[in-house]
Amino acid sequence: MTDLPRNQHIIASGLIAAVGITVAYVSFTQEPADAFIFPRLIASVFAVLAIWTFGKAVLGRTKVGNGLSAGAMRNLAPGLIVMLIYVYWAAKGLGFYTATTIAFFVLLSLYDPAPHTQLKTWLKRIVITAAFMLVIYGLFAQLLNVFTPKEILF
Amino acid sequence: MEFLFYMGDVFTPVNFGLLLLGTIGGLILGATPGLSPTMAVALLIPFTFKLEPQQGLILLGAAYTSTVAGGAVSAILLKIPGAPANIATTLDGHAMAQKGEGARALQLSFIASAVGGVFGVLLLIFLTPILAQWALAFGPSHLFWLAILGVTVIGTLDSSSVVKGLLSGCIGLWLATIGFDDIMGAQRFIFHPSVAGGINVIPALIGLFAIPQVITMFTKGRSSDDAEIISVKRHPIRKAMAEVFSRKRALSIGTAVGSIIGLIPGVGGQIAGLVAYDQSQKFSPEKDKFGTGHSEGVIAAESANNAMVGPSLVPLLTLSIPGSPTAAVLLGGLLIHGIFPGPDLFMNYPQVAWTFIDSMLIGQILMCVFGLYIAGLAANVARIPHGVMAALVLGLAVFGSYSVQNSMGDVYVMATLGLAMYFLERFGFSAAPLVLGLILGPIAEANFIQGSMIANATVGMGSYFFTGWLNWLLIVIVIASVSYSVWMEIAQRRYTTKDDAVAKEEALS
Amino acid sequence: MKKWIAGAALALAAMTGTAFADGHGDYPERPIMLMVSYGAGGATDFQARIVTMTAGNEDALGMPMAIVNKPGAGGRVGWNWFATQAEADGYTLGAYNIPHFIAQSIEGGVDYSADSFEPIANWGADPAVFVVGADSEFNSMDDVVDFAKANPAGLTFSGAGLFVGHHIAALQLEKAAGVKMAYIPNNAGGAGAMRAVISGEVMGGVNNLSDAYRAQAAGNVKILGVFDLERNSFLPDVPTLMEQGYEIDNASVNFRGVMVPKGTPQAVIDHLAATVPTMFENSRVQSRMEAGGSPMHIMTRDEVLAMWAVRQETLEDLLAGL
Repeated sequence: MTDLPRNQHIIASGLIAAVGITVAYVSFTQEPADAFIFPRLIASVFAVLAIWTFGKAVLGRTKVGNGLSAGAMRNLAPGLIVMLIYVYWAAKGLGFYTATTIAFFVLLSLYDPAPHTQLKTWLKRIVITAAFMLVIYGLFAQLLNVFTPKEILF
Repeated sequence: MEFLFYMGDVFTPVNFGLLLLGTIGGLILGATPGLSPTMAVALLIPFTFKLEPQQGLILLGAAYTSTVAGGAVSAILLKIPGAPANIATTLDGHAMAQKGEGARALQLSFIASAVGGVFGVLLLIFLTPILAQWALAFGPSHLFWLAILGVTVIGTLDSSSVVKGLLSGCIGLWLATIGFDDIMGAQRFIFHPSVAGGINVIPALIGLFAIPQVITMFTKGRSSDDAEIISVKRHPIRKAMAEVFSRKRALSIGTAVGSIIGLIPGVGGQIAGLVAYDQSQKFSPEKDKFGTGHSEGVIAAESANNAMVGPSLVPLLTLSIPGSPTAAVLLGGLLIHGIFPGPDLFMNYPQVAWTFIDSMLIGQILMCVFGLYIAGLAANVARIPHGVMAALVLGLAVFGSYSVQNSMGDVYVMATLGLAMYFLERFGFSAAPLVLGLILGPIAEANFIQGSMIANATVGMGSYFFTGWLNWLLIVIVIASVSYSVWMEIAQRRYTTKDDAVAKEEALS
Repeated sequence: MKKWIAGAALALAAMTGTAFADGHGDYPERPIMLMVSYGAGGATDFQARIVTMTAGNEDALGMPMAIVNKPGAGGRVGWNWFATQAEADGYTLGAYNIPHFIAQSIEGGVDYSADSFEPIANWGADPAVFVVGADSEFNSMDDVVDFAKANPAGLTFSGAGLFVGHHIAALQLEKAAGVKMAYIPNNAGGAGAMRAVISGEVMGGVNNLSDAYRAQAAGNVKILGVFDLERNSFLPDVPTLMEQGYEIDNASVNFRGVMVPKGTPQAVIDHLAATVPTMFENSRVQSRMEAGGSPMHIMTRDEVLAMWAVRQETLEDLLAGL
């Protein structure tokens, strides 16, 4: 680990330390005190360890973790955006099955290396999506009787 | 030897058919993300309304046995542990699958499961009266120390640095306190309506393990798969058999830990696999290989999981107290037929009780046979291109976490924890200690509070938590475990070796 | 494409809207969900699964009911969800436990009260009983109270949690006998509380009659008293607390039944209120409940409404002193 992204480590451990301190602050100020005995204990250890890690990162002594590379971020961005829209909005907004079909198909198209220009590629993608949805529908809707948010179609 | 007398009942056409149905159905349900053994058994209860008591129990017993083992399938192939029991299996199992050794991992896991499972059921058959006393021996003070013992494992479990491991554990312990506190009913840290009900372990598990993996697959971009097509290695079952039995240390640690911990009401099922994994790592001469696709890890975790099944039923069958949620559901299956478990269960309903236990014994073997058959086919999952795989795992994760309580909040929790975990992993934190904290937090807290309430009313805190051989035994083990970790940390600065492991993993993926 | 989807959505919404505006429509036209705010395998879950097993019959609702468990914090998690997030469309039903949710709403910190829900029908009434280990030196409630008088706040006894039926019974006992005892709420519910009694971690406990009846049959506990107005048919030999000289009514009896969130169309409520009690009366349901040792007590919507109002009053009185 020669070229560790030190700044990234500082930011990451700084964020964790901030969470730790917030948690500790909240648990020491909330009432009823009886219900917060255990959280106080945990939060104290949490905050101390988080500050220690932050200190190590500032001093550049962090030895583990590879950080994030620009290339990786570029690659994951489109998938991450699809995922965020799918999970936080579409699943409920469009109905589970509709949203999953669309998200599955889009992700497949984004990350499938086959050329976009051929009709065969697209047919294959449609078939895979349909097969996956059939399995999911059979398993969760038919077999397990799961009630999904149904908005459009099914 | 009475159990042999009723063995024949298992093989009547209807009973055996139900046993097959329960086993195959259980494997499928177990492999479904989000469906814990408890839910799987609860789903089958309505079917047993229409069956004879004996038949209904055969179905439930077979399903219980094989859902526990079936959880290994998604843990190994997709890195989605279906239930807390399978967390430890993902650590080495999924690493093996990524190397194209999915078939080997699955075979090892099913054979180890069967060995542990048969041992557990034999314990149930022969040692029930003794085990019943043991199950009652654990009061709040002991369960508290036991949870602390679990916490000490956190620092060393699958983590590159002890401090970061402990910090991950603390995050998990904190997450567990979110929501209504179980005893007082006070609201804690409810910063968003999705977490008002607390963080449910199963969606959290799915998110913490599956989502980082989905994102890692995204980072590979639209690259051609040519460079990294994994050749799926075929693996003869004979070799897997030989390997399981040659890894005697992992197998016996797993089986023993699973049987002992499985007995402890409310704790056992969830942590048996992790504790067994940790212990066999500590006793193994090849410590550094753990986490990189080492067979001992899979064998220890899976033999412990299934060894727990038999003993976990002891309190139910002898004392009529369900020791685990799954046992509680099985109790329901008995009650609707008017059968009250208790010390005279085997006298009053020998035909039902013994056939039930026999069917679990046969079920373990059937589960292994079908599991080995699936293993060969399922290993091809590794051939699926990463684009498809990412979409598939994401879809399953969303459906799986939703189906636990039909709650959108759980899906948000799953995705948020998963996203955060991806970034944490990039900076040297890992999911296993976090999850262990999440599981152990409520156990430690509730038992501490109950214990101190009892102590204040009777003998006082000091003598309640620090007297009795069982308390001291646990305290001594806690101290030993901590000193061992500290010593290892100082002696060889563990993270350097682990960095090699991380580097190796990076190279593979 | 987008327009088409939006159009279809509108049409669909309009269709379902009019069906409900009409009142009856074809309700129910899809399976119904029943939320249980306790875990799978608990007494409430187990009984809910039995009493709803005939929902799919033609003479009942004609559609199956699926149980969804939302356990946590003595039921608060499930009822909070039910009051704030459940859809009031007639397809989301919930199981209630009295006095639990009323006591919790009086204590505060939750988003529901008796006004947040509309009862449909009651299926069961499970009185609380006082249990001690089989080898305990206590043989009557007087023994227990005498010990508590000699050791103020030193008699430990378990129950399923705070502000649930067991806790109410415990408070009533302390008040009626004029003693202070140490009530230990268990995080693992009734089963955990029973385990604590059998293993001797605590000296006694308040528990469900149905569970105590089984534990007594297994030879693990003695039952010293029933917290109800009259003796129970499952335990004809066990006297009530009243008979033993303690002024304790049936405020702690655990009534279980079905409800819907406020705002559910009146037509749907009427339909359910008419059919659900007959569903509970089904002979198969009755025999299964009997076999499982679960006392049934069927009440119609109007009876439940009256019972809720009475409970609200008694519990406010009892908890005001805390």
